Amino acid sequence: MKILIQLALIFGICILGDLISSLLPFAFPGSVVSMLLMVLLLLSNLLKESAIEESADFFLKNMTFFFIPFGVGILRYAALIQSVWWQLLVVNLVSLLACFAASSWTVVLVSSLQRRWRKKRNA
Amino acid sequence: MREVLNTPLFGIALSIVAFKIGIWANKKLKNPLANPLIIAMALIVILLLVFDIPLDSYEKGSSIISLFLAPVTAVLALSIYRQRALLKDSLLPVMMGTFAGALASLFSIKWTCGLLGLDSVVLSSLMSKSVTTPIAIALTEQFGGIPALTVASTVISGALGNLLAPVLAKMFFISDPVAHGVGIGSCSHALGTSKALEIGEVEGAMSSIAISLSGIFTVLLAPLFFL
Repeated sequence: MKILIQLALIFGICILGDLISSLLPFAFPGSVVSMLLMVLLLLSNLLKESAIEESADFFLKNMTFFFIPFGVGILRYAALIQSVWWQLLVVNLVSLLACFAASSWTVVLVSSLQRRWRKKRNA
Repeated sequence: MREVLNTPLFGIALSIVAFKIGIWANKKLKNPLANPLIIAMALIVILLLVFDIPLDSYEKGSSIISLFLAPVTAVLALSIYRQRALLKDSLLPVMMGTFAGALASLFSIKWTCGLLGLDSVVLSSLMSKSVTTPIAIALTEQFGGIPALTVASTVISGALGNLLAPVLAKMFFISDPVAHGVGIGSCSHALGTSKALEIGEVEGAMSSIAISLSGIFTVLLAPLFFL
């Protein structure tokens, strides 16, 4: 019963997230709204970690599994993809490398600046 | 005979078995390139094609699995919450990092599309492909692209991120788990994040927060690239 209650709680928050998303004046997905909403609920102690823990950990541990159907679904667009498959691959690979390098190096740079600044302030 | 497969149980069972084989192969080969997600996807596609099973039969069951994508994304909140102290400490680097990532992603897509001579409809369909699918589709519709191409492209960038996540850190000399996580989440949304969670708790949490931030930044920045 414990797991069922946890699932009901998680699904309930997702429905609330979808509702908020539908009220927003711009397109922002319900699932991401639900995630941010759940962070707020946890931080404000309205939602206890123990109230969702087992179910949430099950989803987190097996997260990749839930994306398999989504990936297989592109079979529907096989004809469209066949005509541009290598261009798609090149664009994706180049942007993946550019995006990863830019974001991770920026984090490294900004956090080292932040550390230096904090040290100076404390000194 | 084929009517037997017309139950949702077929798609669900097939997905579980294919994923199990993917995990087994990954452990056996001890190579991050033997990626469970990609192996499972490939096995299912091959099976459907070889036995001429319609995608609709598979999707009777697989659509039930997809139903869980929203709750699966929502519970990433718990991984963020568990790292709240670290996140509070590194909020500025994380925000600047995802901003830089979104900008680099948009620039590089526009640049490579131009270099490959792809037309503007394809460009509009690919611009948002690094972010989570619902946002990407909304942006594509706004810019007059083909949503199907966007979905395919978010799958490709997600699968590539899932595949390359462990290698990328070495390639770019990243040892900070915060930077690694932000990098994965910025360029390959929730699909990459599922790999980040396997790499470590900090990586998983930072990748989760990067999904939402890079989504927001891409919504704000993408229109500038169509001026």
